[in-house]
Amino acid sequence: MGLIGVFVVRMRLSAIGYSMSHGAFAGAALGVATATNPLVTGLLFASGTALMIGPIADKARLHADTITSIVFPLNMALAFVFLTLAPEVGLSSQVANVLWGSIISMTNSDLLYLTTLFAVTLVVVYFVWKELFAIMFNRKLAEADGINTKPFVYLIIFLAGVVITFSLKLVGGLLIYALLFNPASTVLQFSENMRKVVVASPLVGMATTVSGLFLSLFFDLPVGSCIVIVSTIVFVIALLLSPKRKRREETKK
Amino acid sequence: MSEDTIIKLENVSTVYEGETRPSLKGINLAFQKNDLIYILGPNASGKTTLIETINGLLPAFKGKVTVFGLNLKSNGKEIRCQIGYVPQDFMVKPGEPYKALDVVLMGKYGQIGFLHQPEEKDKQEALQAMKLIGIQDLADRAMGKLSGGQQQKVMLARALAKKPKILLLDEPFSNLDPDSRVQIPSLITKLHEEQDLTTIVVTHDIHHMIDHCNRVVVITGGKATFDGTPEEALPLFAHPHTTKLEGHRH
Repeated sequence: MGLIGVFVVRMRLSAIGYSMSHGAFAGAALGVATATNPLVTGLLFASGTALMIGPIADKARLHADTITSIVFPLNMALAFVFLTLAPEVGLSSQVANVLWGSIISMTNSDLLYLTTLFAVTLVVVYFVWKELFAIMFNRKLAEADGINTKPFVYLIIFLAGVVITFSLKLVGGLLIYALLFNPASTVLQFSENMRKVVVASPLVGMATTVSGLFLSLFFDLPVGSCIVIVSTIVFVIALLLSPKRKRREETKK
Repeated sequence: MSEDTIIKLENVSTVYEGETRPSLKGINLAFQKNDLIYILGPNASGKTTLIETINGLLPAFKGKVTVFGLNLKSNGKEIRCQIGYVPQDFMVKPGEPYKALDVVLMGKYGQIGFLHQPEEKDKQEALQAMKLIGIQDLADRAMGKLSGGQQQKVMLARALAKKPKILLLDEPFSNLDPDSRVQIPSLITKLHEEQDLTTIVVTHDIHHMIDHCNRVVVITGGKATFDGTPEEALPLFAHPHTTKLEGHRH
């Protein structure tokens, strides 16, 4: 999450991230309602949202934000419709897991999926790093230099959708985007080297997840919420200590 | 198309992003190899649209654009790899995680190609481009910490790093401190001659015209209303329209 979050934040795809996380949530809700594997339906919805937003925005000549503003509430509406379709499920633990996440319910297979996904994302990022680096700097300039930027932007949107779906069990559909954006936003407060940001962001993500887990165990609180709270506190501390913020304030004076 | 014609626009109309009415209206222009052209015109007259139509960032919805004898519509990527481009008002904010050398090297990424990584020779060519502009000492500096003039020079080095045949510069004299405003026009002329370029400069600044270009095109209301030598263009400045240009000068 921390790794892909760097590209989502830098390419200004945050709104797409929100939509996809809620797409995954809607899909998982459909899975629960229809007694299908929520991971599969979540993945389908998140990927569907991801594959839809970029091309629609390009074809309709609209900013991706406009499309996401429409898709985001639609996914939430669908999620609640799906959950009410199966009243016997109600707010069972399965639904609660989709909503808020439950690290305890994660199986060895889930961990294997996440590890494999991280490795695949690393390899993909290594091979297309220069294109992603140029697009993060400025998409229009990258295009002017002869890079066809669309496939790379769609690739990041798709990868974000997959990563979000596989991480749903950890913090749930309502909180997951915090794990996507907070680590990258935290590290960006300090580093002026994009390669370091890409390395440090997943490490910060891991550290805040583990700290949140221990906090949850210690105080007997929901794991997903604790992870998000720790991650947000770390971001606020980073913002307060940020040399970049201080420089920006000095420049304004 | 004569052998020396490097860019040709035939009855081209283009709509700028987010607009509904065309910014360029049926333009016909041909630029010859080694021309150094200044594109002048009031604000929102279609100058930037013209530049972005030539490198294909804005696709023409009517007419035909030919660059190096190739149709831009079907050869956009290949053509853009041979064009150096500096956009208007480009400024990197303080704190952005990019070194100046990284930014210059990015100019070569299209040429390096998909799944290939930049090699040492690419880095050396990027440094060489910085040396041409006289900013090699800025290579390891963070982009956001550089002044407007320094950033403009880095962007110029980025455009040159790919060893382009065409240089498109959109308002390169804006955001400049007084010293750079004197240096940059001469630098562009020097690079144009040394690097065997065809250079198109969009500007409001008519004062450099006589000394630094061999052709002037005035765009007004999306149409080319004047096309001639700087000397022929001079009388225009007594006209009320060009007084307007002066008024918009940065």
